[in-house]
Amino acid sequence: MSPHDTNVAALEPSIPLIAPGHTYTTISDKVAGIVVTEPQPKSWKFGILIGAIGVMILNTAVIYLFYKGIGIWGVNIPVGWGWAIINFVWWIGIGHAGTLISAILLLLNQQWRTSINRFAEAMTIFAVMCAGMFPILHLGRPWVFYFILPYPGTLTMWPNFRSPLLWDVFAVSTYATVSLLFWYVGLIPDFATLRDKARNKVGQWAYGFFALGWRGSARHWFRYETASLILAGLATPLVVSVHSIVSLDFSVGIIPGWHTTIFPPYFVAGAIYSGFAMVLTLTIPVRKIYALEDFITQRHLDVMAKVMLATGLIVGYGYIMEAFYAWYSANPYEKFMIYNRMTGPYWPAYWALVLCNIVTPQFLWIHWVRNNPIVLFIISIIVNIGMWLERYVIVVTSLHADFLPSSWGSSVSWRNLRPRKTSSWPRKKSMTRATSRSMRLRLFPWTVSRKRLGSRRPDFL
Amino acid sequence: MSEIDIHPRLKQLGRNGWKVGVASLLLGLVMALASGGARLFFQSYLVAFLFWFGLALGSLAWLMVHHMVEGRWGFVTQRILEASSRTLPLLALLFLPYLLIGSPQLYPWWGGVESLAWHGINYHVSHKLMYLNPAFFTIRAFIYFGIWLTLTYFLNRWSKDMDTTRDPRISLKYRWVAAPGIVLYVFTMTFAMTDWGMSLEPEWFSTIYGFLFCVGQGLSSMCFTVIILSLLAEKPPLSSYAKPDRYHDLGKLMLAFTILWAYMSFAQFLITWSGNLPEEIKYYMHRTGPELKGVFTILIVFHFFVPFFILLMRGVKRVPATLRTIAFYILAVRIIDLLWVLGPAFRDNHDHIFGSAVEVPITLAVLAGIGGIWLTYFVKQLTQRPLVTAFDPRRDEAFAHDHHHETEALDHA
Repeated sequence: MSPHDTNVAALEPSIPLIAPGHTYTTISDKVAGIVVTEPQPKSWKFGILIGAIGVMILNTAVIYLFYKGIGIWGVNIPVGWGWAIINFVWWIGIGHAGTLISAILLLLNQQWRTSINRFAEAMTIFAVMCAGMFPILHLGRPWVFYFILPYPGTLTMWPNFRSPLLWDVFAVSTYATVSLLFWYVGLIPDFATLRDKARNKVGQWAYGFFALGWRGSARHWFRYETASLILAGLATPLVVSVHSIVSLDFSVGIIPGWHTTIFPPYFVAGAIYSGFAMVLTLTIPVRKIYALEDFITQRHLDVMAKVMLATGLIVGYGYIMEAFYAWYSANPYEKFMIYNRMTGPYWPAYWALVLCNIVTPQFLWIHWVRNNPIVLFIISIIVNIGMWLERYVIVVTSLHADFLPSSWGSSVSWRNLRPRKTSSWPRKKSMTRATSRSMRLRLFPWTVSRKRLGSRRPDFL
Repeated sequence: MSEIDIHPRLKQLGRNGWKVGVASLLLGLVMALASGGARLFFQSYLVAFLFWFGLALGSLAWLMVHHMVEGRWGFVTQRILEASSRTLPLLALLFLPYLLIGSPQLYPWWGGVESLAWHGINYHVSHKLMYLNPAFFTIRAFIYFGIWLTLTYFLNRWSKDMDTTRDPRISLKYRWVAAPGIVLYVFTMTFAMTDWGMSLEPEWFSTIYGFLFCVGQGLSSMCFTVIILSLLAEKPPLSSYAKPDRYHDLGKLMLAFTILWAYMSFAQFLITWSGNLPEEIKYYMHRTGPELKGVFTILIVFHFFVPFFILLMRGVKRVPATLRTIAFYILAVRIIDLLWVLGPAFRDNHDHIFGSAVEVPITLAVLAGIGGIWLTYFVKQLTQRPLVTAFDPRRDEAFAHDHHHETEALDHA
C-alpha cells in the first residue's frame, strides 16, 4: 500500500449497516413479509415445539414446587437463597441489553441499533417476565405476593421501606412498564405497515387497532421521534438503577462476599454483558433462519461482540477487585470467603465462572472471532452459562459458610439443585456431607485454624 | 515548526505560570516549616498533586477512548488531550519528592508494625504489610508511571508520525494500543489510589474507591479540555471544527461523568452506611461528623445537583463561554471533593480537613504551586504541535456525514 493511500477502508473494510441495493420498499417487503405473507419455515415450528416443551416442564416444576415447598431446591439455613434468586438476577440482567440498545444507543446516535433493537426490546420484556416470576415462586406463601406492595389495607401492614427487596419491587415493575411502552411505541409504525399488508380481516383489524390510526404523516413521525426520545431519557437511568438495586439486595447486608462497594457498577456491567450474550444467542440463529443477513450484517455482530468484550472486562475487573480487597481487608471472614470460593466445596463453580466469564471473552479481541457467527454463538452460550454461575457463586458460596461455626459445613451441593422425589430435606445425606467436610478441613490447616477460632469474634470487631 | 498561535491568556500562562508556581511552592514550604514541619507541606502536596495529575492522566484515558470510538468530539480535542498527557513525565518528577520525603511521614504503615502500633492501629492490619511496605510501594509507583509513560509515548509519537508520513495504517496501531491501554489504565489507577490514598487509613478499604478516582479524573480532565478548547477555538484552525455540536458532545460527557461520580459515591456511601461495620463505617463517621457535615452537604448539592441540572439544559452545552464557566466550577468542586476524601485521613482524629488555620493557605499555595508549573509545561507542549492533526482519514470519515447528521438529528439533550 502506498503511504499516500488515504483510504482507511482498504485497511479494515467497514461493512455497511445494511447490505447494498436495498430501498425502503424492499426492506418493508422483507420485514413485513416474514409476519404476514411468507409461510413460516419448518424450523419455526420446531422452535415453538422446543419452547412449548420447556414451558410444560416449567409448569410441572412450579406445580410440584407449590405442592412441596421451596425445600425442593435444597435451600435451608444458612443458604436461604438459592435457585430462585439466582434465576431472578440472571433473567433481570439479560433484559438490560435491550434497554441499553434501545435507550442509551439512541441517545448516543448509534445508527447500528435499529437492526437489532426490536429483538432486544422483545427479549427484555420476556426476560423481565421470567425474572419477575422467581421472587414470587420463592415466597413461602406466593398467593399473598401483594403484601410486598405498599397499599393502605385493613391489615395496616406496610412493607419495610428500608429493604432493598422492596426497592426491587418498584425498580422491576417500573422497568417492565417502561420497556413495554418503549417496545410498543417503536412498533406503532410497523403495526401500520402490517395492517396495510394484512391479507385477512382479523389481521387488518388487530394490527389496525394497535397501529392507533398511524398514517405516516410528518406530524406522526415528529411525535413518534419525540416520544422515543422521552422514553429513552426515562429508560436510561433504569439501565443502571435496576441492576444496582438488585446488587443492593446483596451488598447492604454484611455477609462477606455480598457486602462490597463495587457491587452496583459491577452488577450493571454483568447485566449488560449477559444481555448482549443473549441478544447474540437469539440473533445469530434468527438471522440465519429468516435470511436477514442483509439487515443484521457482520458489522452488527462485530459491534455487539465488542460491547460484550468491554463489559466482560469490567466484570473481570470486579472479580479481581473482590479477590484483592478481600485479602487487603485483613478481615479473617473476608479472607476466608475468597479462599473458600476458590478452594472450598464450590471451587468448580468458581473456576468454571472464571473460565466462562473472564477467559472466554478474551477471544473477542480477535477480529476473526468477532466476525464468525458460529464461534460468536458458542461464546455467547458460554457467557450465558458463566453469568448464571456468577450469581450461583455469589448467592451460595457467600451464604453457606458465614460467621457461625455451625454453618461451616456445606449445605447445598450440585446434586441438591435438582428437584427431589424424596422428602424435601434429606437430613441423612446432609449429615454425611458435613462429616466429609470436616474431614477435609483437617487437610487444610489454615481452614482448621478458622474453625478453632470458634464463635469468638476477632478482637478488632 | 513555527510557533503555534494560541490564546493570549494561555500564552501569558505559559510565560509566567512557572514563576508563580515556584514562588507559591516555596511560600507553602516556608509556611509549613514555620508552623509544624514538612508533614503539613506534603499533606497539601498530595492533594494538589492528585488534582493536577488527574488532569493529565484523565486526558490520557480520554485520548485512548477517542482512539477506540473515533467520535467527532475526539478529533477536535485530540491535540489538547495529547499535550496534557505529555505532561506526565513532569508529574513523574513531581512525584519523586513526595515519594522520597513525603510518604515516610504520611503513611502510618511506612515504619512497619511498630509504626502501626504507635498510630493506634489494630494489630490485624499488620497482615497488609506484605503489600504496604516502602520497597513494594516504590516499585509499584515505578510500574504505574512506567505504564502510563509508555502509553503516552507511543500515542504521541504515532500522532506526530501520522502528520508527517500520512500513513493511514497508524490508525490501526492506535486501536491496538488504546483498547488494552484503557484496561491497563483502570487497573493501574485503582492500585495507585489504593497505595496513595486508601492506605493513608490502613484499616479502611472499599472496592469501588479506585474506580471512583478514575471517574473523578475523567470528569476533571474533560472539564479542563473544554476550557482549553473554548479558548483555542476562537481562532482557526480549531474554529472550523469546534462547532456547537462538538461542545454539546463534550457537555454530555461532562454530564455523564457528573452522574457517574454521584452514582458511585452514593453506592459506596449507601453500602458502607447500611453495613455499619466498624472497620468501614469510620470513614464516613469522620467525613459526615459534626465538623464535616457541611462539606458533605456541599458535595451532594454542588458536586451533583447543581451541575446535573445545569448540564441537563441543552442551551448551556452549546455555548462555549457558558460551558467553560461550568467547567471551571466543576474543577473547583473537584478540589473540595479531593480535600474531603484525603484531608481527614491526615488528622489524628480524622474529623477535620484542616488541622489548623494555617493549613488553608498552605494548601492553596501548593495547589497554585504545582498548578503553575504544570500549566506552563502544558502550554509548552500545546504549542509544539499544530492544534489539529494534519492528516487523519478517520477524521475525514467522521466529519463526512456531519452536515447530514446536523440536519437530521433531533435534540438529543
